[in-house]
Amino acid sequence: MRTLIRHITGFFFSLNTTIWFTALLIAAFLAGAFIMPGRKEFESIHSASFFQWLIEQPLTVTWWLWLSIAILSIIVINTLFCSIESVIKKRKVTQWLLLISPQIIHVGFLFILLAHLLSSIGGSQQMAAAGEGTFLKISENNSVLIKDINIQLSPDGYVNDWAVKIEYYLNNDMVKEDRIAPNSPSLYEGFNINLKDMRVVPTEAVLLQINREPGAVWALTGGILFMAGIVMLIALKIKTEKR
Amino acid sequence: MLLLILSFAFYLFALWKRPFLYIGLAIQTAYIISRGIDLGRLPLVGPHDTVTFLAASIAAFSIPFATALKERIQFQRLTAGTAAIFTVIALISKQHNSPLPPVLKTFWFETHVVLAFLSYALFGIAAILAYLHLKEENTYLEGPRYRAILIGYCLFTMSMIFGGIWAYLAWGTYWLWTPKELWTSILWLFYTLYLHAQFKQWWTGKPLAILGIAGFAVVMFTYLGVSLLMKSSHSF
Repeated sequence: MRTLIRHITGFFFSLNTTIWFTALLIAAFLAGAFIMPGRKEFESIHSASFFQWLIEQPLTVTWWLWLSIAILSIIVINTLFCSIESVIKKRKVTQWLLLISPQIIHVGFLFILLAHLLSSIGGSQQMAAAGEGTFLKISENNSVLIKDINIQLSPDGYVNDWAVKIEYYLNNDMVKEDRIAPNSPSLYEGFNINLKDMRVVPTEAVLLQINREPGAVWALTGGILFMAGIVMLIALKIKTEKR
Repeated sequence: MLLLILSFAFYLFALWKRPFLYIGLAIQTAYIISRGIDLGRLPLVGPHDTVTFLAASIAAFSIPFATALKERIQFQRLTAGTAAIFTVIALISKQHNSPLPPVLKTFWFETHVVLAFLSYALFGIAAILAYLHLKEENTYLEGPRYRAILIGYCLFTMSMIFGGIWAYLAWGTYWLWTPKELWTSILWLFYTLYLHAQFKQWWTGKPLAILGIAGFAVVMFTYLGVSLLMKSSHSF
């Protein structure tokens, strides 16, 4: 039993596990990159939460995604084990920042994976076509009114700018006014509403996308940590080389 | 276009004498600036402008590496040749001259693209160093190659993060399941593997050099192959 535990912990503490399982993940993604464009099942991948979509699809087209999830789970444990071991083993080194910066990168990576997990469980995406005066139900008690659509065209017919004024209603009471513009979505109660497409004639109409992305904040935090860690690592390496 | 043809000619002359590369780069930079002034935006949309930027970035990044390598003639020739090849691709590629959709007029998109192509250029430099390593069986090129890949990886990661922020603001999600995103992840994982493998004795030397060359092949497919052959949010 003790030998088995030693083998398992040895496996998760090993850098070889990182390398070979990353290679395996690349292979799974490669398979997916060739399977995905040819299968119509993937057209509906954004219509429900990722996990809900995944369990509804045939294994013949999603096997590489299941395999990727299994590999990522191993990589997560491996990252945690290796990071903790590295900090414990080298805690007495003088260049503490050089020791900690790769671990900040690892924490950032884990946060990004957590973000994907949360969005895969609780994320959703709905589309709705609407004109001025349209009411759209976004949840049990919440709805949104399209108050005003403003599309500006250039003389040669290109869309220069656009803006959509909206109002949120909670049980028929207006609770918030907002405006959707390019790269400026409306955020409300965990929803992110943005404009997917628009039409100018015969009347102005828009195709709105109503998203829930519970992992967004975690992804941003992970991204900031990853960038901070890697910039710190490069700066310290340059400094060390100059000495 | 004349400026671009001139820069191509100077890159070819740089196969003979290094200073011609500086002239070629200066002319190509002038072309990029003139395109930007004409279009009233960063000229980084479509294959013509992005390949031009990639060629100029390779030429620009080759300067500090050539200095560190003490003006190695083979490295100079290969970087000048690569810049020349990409300039030819730019010359035969279609220009995107129409105004940008409002959703692309943002700091997040522009930075995402700039960082991506700077990282591609560094991965290209690393592939050239890897090729020279294999050809000359000289291990002292490992250090510069590692630096090129580490900085390239940093820029590429930042590009992915900035792209995610932009996608969230533009489309409400930081991740879309499209072939381009999948290939981008493959590329990122590939260089993640490279940076971890260099700590293991078994991988050092030839295997890492081969990975360095293979990495740039993945870069090229992610950039040109996926954009031209597969339907995605990044299609040309």
